[in-house]
Amino acid sequence: MSPILSFIIILIGLYGMVTSENIIKSIICFSIIETALILLFLNLGNVGLGDIPIIIEETPNMVDPLPQALMITTIVIGASTTALAFMISIKIFHYYGTLEWDELLEREG
Amino acid sequence: MFMDLIPVLIILIPVVTGVFIYITRHYKFNMLVFLAQSIVTGLALRYYFYLGRLKGEVFLNLGNWSEKISIVLKNDYLSMTFIFLTIIMWWMVIIYSWKERKKDSKFYFFLLFLEGVFFGLLQTNDLFNLFVFIEITTIISTILILYKMTGESVRAGLYYLLFNSAGIMFFLIGMAFIYYSEGTLSINELTGKINISQGLNLTNISYISIIAAIGVKSAFFPVYNWLPKAHSAAPSVISALLSGLLVKSGLYVFIRINSMYGLESFREFFIILGLITAISGGIFAISQKDIKQILAFSTVSQIGIIMIGLNQLDGNIIGGVFHIINHAFFKSMLFLSAGIIIKTYKERDTTVIRGVLYELPLVGIFILIGFFSISGMPFFNGFISKSIIKYGVYSEFIIYAIHFIDILTITYFMKILQVLNKPKGLNVRYKVKRCNNSKVPVVILGFLCIILGIFYQPIGRLLLRTEIKYIDLFDLKEWSIYSSKLITGYIIYKYVIKKDYSLIKKIRKTNISFSNTNYLFILFITIMLLWKL
Repeated sequence: MSPILSFIIILIGLYGMVTSENIIKSIICFSIIETALILLFLNLGNVGLGDIPIIIEETPNMVDPLPQALMITTIVIGASTTALAFMISIKIFHYYGTLEWDELLEREG
Repeated sequence: MFMDLIPVLIILIPVVTGVFIYITRHYKFNMLVFLAQSIVTGLALRYYFYLGRLKGEVFLNLGNWSEKISIVLKNDYLSMTFIFLTIIMWWMVIIYSWKERKKDSKFYFFLLFLEGVFFGLLQTNDLFNLFVFIEITTIISTILILYKMTGESVRAGLYYLLFNSAGIMFFLIGMAFIYYSEGTLSINELTGKINISQGLNLTNISYISIIAAIGVKSAFFPVYNWLPKAHSAAPSVISALLSGLLVKSGLYVFIRINSMYGLESFREFFIILGLITAISGGIFAISQKDIKQILAFSTVSQIGIIMIGLNQLDGNIIGGVFHIINHAFFKSMLFLSAGIIIKTYKERDTTVIRGVLYELPLVGIFILIGFFSISGMPFFNGFISKSIIKYGVYSEFIIYAIHFIDILTITYFMKILQVLNKPKGLNVRYKVKRCNNSKVPVVILGFLCIILGIFYQPIGRLLLRTEIKYIDLFDLKEWSIYSSKLITGYIIYKYVIKKDYSLIKKIRKTNISFSNTNYLFILFITIMLLWKL
């Protein structure tokens, strides 16, 4: 898997961000971008058929552990952001009765 | 040993106190907010003197791993300045909201948690922790923006959250490039070692994507339209905090990232961008009627001036940093006063509210002080930082542009100032309701504006370690320039803006949808890529 693949997925997510009319779709596209980024980062530490990064004896062909450690945090942050965004969109539906961006702009709070 | 651990303590004490307040959920424990604030203030002061003995740069390596991969907290005079600013702002916010929200444990939980996270953001020395802290700040400030849970605030909160989170993803992309080419994420390790050759290589693309992410966070030209929405929908306390400090977190990261890369080819680009930001923010502010919208767009305009100050061609950022501090003081004071006015009159439209100077004399006077500061009158703090910025700009054109921005500022502030007086034939009776917010923070911030405007030399020496010599408060030329600007602004207001032409109405009604905002964001990145080519 090359980093090109993750860039393609990022571009798909960006395309979704700029074209989607619905809040839920925007949140999904945000998640797509984030997942692609996690893929990109994990690619950085990839060394082919590498060993797991636990030093018991000599492991010359070790996978870089740092990107993995960082990406766990990113996943947690992404999950909380997505959860909060979905919670707010429930509230928005209660107040406005719609989840379309353009209808939301027209209606006064 | 204890002294070394202070940076960790000032992150942890507010967070732990906040969690304790939230878990116990008894309103008497809310008093602990003051205790935590006092302890943090004491520790920060103590650490400042410790810093003075150690040549002004202290690293704290947590866990004693190698420099390249461990979590390191770094403190220097810049971060200490911001820490003191944070402490002052949080004191003001807590005192202001105390009477109203005495029994609201949830509010103080989020407020204190945000403070701790913000200290972390200021002190961290690696890019990934910076990302984590920025994200937590975004999430908590979203919750605080929609705290009132009205329709408008919920909408603004979602807009803020999604746009900022999508923007910050580009920070991660930039980070991936840096890690791929340099093998470390520590800012200190990277400083001066990054390969900055010309053309479109990995480092330049990483710089562009990181700056794009920060640009969303700190409201640069095409991508600032989350800011007025969020500022006007949030409670006034939170608007003061957002405008005074949280927007500046992006600018702080901007300073750090810029000094890490040391790229000089982007300085002119940022000066132009700052000018466009300032002028467009000013034009939008002129068209608004809502007092909080005017102040929010004015924040955008001032951020443009700060951008000019942070990218001066000789590499001196003192003017920008000074203006960040000054803007934090007067803009949060104005937001807090606006909060008091809105609570008292139950009205936000500047064309309707009248007679503030008679109903709320103290607030009226301090709004005047805020006006003098923001428009750059000598003896007030805005004059000092704007003079430093003008002194560092070599181009005549930009100096005239800054004068033009000042005139814009005066013009839109005339709209706010019209609430002060009371026309004679006015028969409308307001249902004036006494509001229970404290006026002490407004007074303190107002006096800080004047103190910074007069005693700028010792303060600059203590915090920013520079001598500010070339400003003359009694210079007749400055006074005449200021008064002519004042008169021009007033004339423009009286004969053009007050008529409310259809063009102004059209600008006021401009509303950019979410997908168009994303187009603008992509456009922003494209422009930067083209500049680098």
